[in-house]
Amino acid sequence: MNIYQPKNFKIIKIIDETPNIKTFVLKPLNGDKFTFQTGQFIELTVYGVGEAPFTPSSSPYHTETIDVTIMRVGRMTEVLHSMKKGDVVGIRGPYGKGYPVDSFVGKQVLIIGGGVGLAPLRSLLLTLIERISEFKKIILCYGARTPQDIVYKYLFPEWSKIKGIEILRSVDKCQPGEWDETVGVVTCLLDKIDIDVKDTVAVVCGPPIMMKFTTLKLIDKKFKPEQIYLSMERNMSCGLGKCGHCQIGSYFICKDGPVFTWEQLKDIPEPFE
Amino acid sequence: MKKFVTYSDLVGIIKNIIGYEIIFPTTSRHFKVLKTVEDLNLLNLNVIRPIEPIKQFFFPAKESLMYEKKDLKQIILGVKSCDIQAIEVLDKIFLSAPADNLYQNYRNNTILISCDCILPEETCFCSIVGGKPYVEQDDGVSDLNISFIDENNLILESFTDKGEEFLKHYFSDFDLPKNSDELKRNSNRTVSSKKVIEYNAEFIKEDKKGKYYKTVKYTYELDEIWRKESDKCVQCGGCNFICPSCYCFLIREASISSENQYRDKVWDVCHFTGYARVAGGANPRKYKYQRFRNRYQCKFVYRYENFDFYACTGCGRCIEVCPARIDIRKVVISLVLAKGEQVLV
Repeated sequence: MNIYQPKNFKIIKIIDETPNIKTFVLKPLNGDKFTFQTGQFIELTVYGVGEAPFTPSSSPYHTETIDVTIMRVGRMTEVLHSMKKGDVVGIRGPYGKGYPVDSFVGKQVLIIGGGVGLAPLRSLLLTLIERISEFKKIILCYGARTPQDIVYKYLFPEWSKIKGIEILRSVDKCQPGEWDETVGVVTCLLDKIDIDVKDTVAVVCGPPIMMKFTTLKLIDKKFKPEQIYLSMERNMSCGLGKCGHCQIGSYFICKDGPVFTWEQLKDIPEPFE
Repeated sequence: MKKFVTYSDLVGIIKNIIGYEIIFPTTSRHFKVLKTVEDLNLLNLNVIRPIEPIKQFFFPAKESLMYEKKDLKQIILGVKSCDIQAIEVLDKIFLSAPADNLYQNYRNNTILISCDCILPEETCFCSIVGGKPYVEQDDGVSDLNISFIDENNLILESFTDKGEEFLKHYFSDFDLPKNSDELKRNSNRTVSSKKVIEYNAEFIKEDKKGKYYKTVKYTYELDEIWRKESDKCVQCGGCNFICPSCYCFLIREASISSENQYRDKVWDVCHFTGYARVAGGANPRKYKYQRFRNRYQCKFVYRYENFDFYACTGCGRCIEVCPARIDIRKVVISLVLAKGEQVLV
């Protein structure tokens, strides 16, 4: 038995989120519980096809099963999307350091997500909801390409009922009459919110281009580099700080991250390519 | 523990060691696995490090993750200082918690016998990146060291418990070296160090204050230099594969047919276009010069920040292997010049 050996998990439910995004609910085959901290990631194996890193989108308070929300984008996810309830996949982890939730206590938490980047942020949001009284306020800004590309559509009505949470959504484009919320890229939502920057932490996850412009916008809004938390996703292969793939400067994203502050990354070349 | 031994005594004893796979360097500079006694006619401890990287004995180019392997006990003989330092880099990566138990097994089952490098060649540059052409106790990785006093006589010195046990077991009847033998050894070492420095007179010499680190670190803005230096690079990956301290690998899960699946740990190369590419096609280092630069920064900046020593040990394999004749030392010089600094201080 080596440290790169996955454990078997059974797919017990598949939820269609968008035309190319599905959420897989996975349960350990041996009946064990799966514990992780929000923001940590796993390596998921489709046997005989490939292995790739994903961040669970479920609450860490729920240990019977884990949810992983996955976009069909390459060779491995193509096969994964064709899998059925009852099929078995492999999982290693959890790896890395998650969101430092304790350090958010007493503050406003501004969560900014783009596209399928809401997956890890959903896990964070569910964690914050468990302890909602400990935070000043939670603001979720979420942007997707079109109204069809929005993930967890069925959860937003539920979340917006919770006291202490404010939700703003945008889409890049839509058909006339299809969308009555903001149209535009996610950063434009940041102009619509009323926050006391000094007392706020921003947590960002999304595609590289979105992370880049959101970070620039936050700096523009006078956020300090150490107030901006970024979920850096690279092609982690081993997950244990050895294989080298996810190196960014002297950090290994898999071991030192995947959550970093902008303070840690600002002097490194090409963080968002 | 030290012992005075003749070369023929050493060879005689190696012939009779059982229970270990014995790996030794040959005159044509290859690692050879001892199969028959005649193989030892090829043994040559006074050549520079072999052509192939030593990492293959702890970190094979391709290793299955699906099957349990039987532990293999091995003795690697005549390892040069540059390779001992390289193993130190690999140890930092693979043995840090959680340890890679495949690598750990190889390391635990290996006796490393180092040997002073008394005939350095022009590709050697250990002494200018903070190393030296011989191994001492506090280098921490070698179990036992061989120093030639002259052609026929040697000093064996144990550095670890494993090494001391080995000496006690096979060399208990031998005498201690005389004081004059040790003096001769020290003078051989000085001569060899000087030779490496001479060969590298035109290059940057490490000054214990991170000279290579500083030179390579603040070069993000020198894109033009990196583009120029990497222009000849054909991205064959030779320098990565042959480097004793390049540790990158990929967990490869794939199949030939539904019955024939495999999962293995294979060497990977940061010069390859797809190395850092993620699903969907985004690539943090999509240009050749960025990948080229990354390798230098990995060796002289990033791992230096992590471990306080360079992940380049001056073995010179990358210089020897490069089909475009790219010389790591010259690349560093062009950075120095581009910054308008003096090469020789």
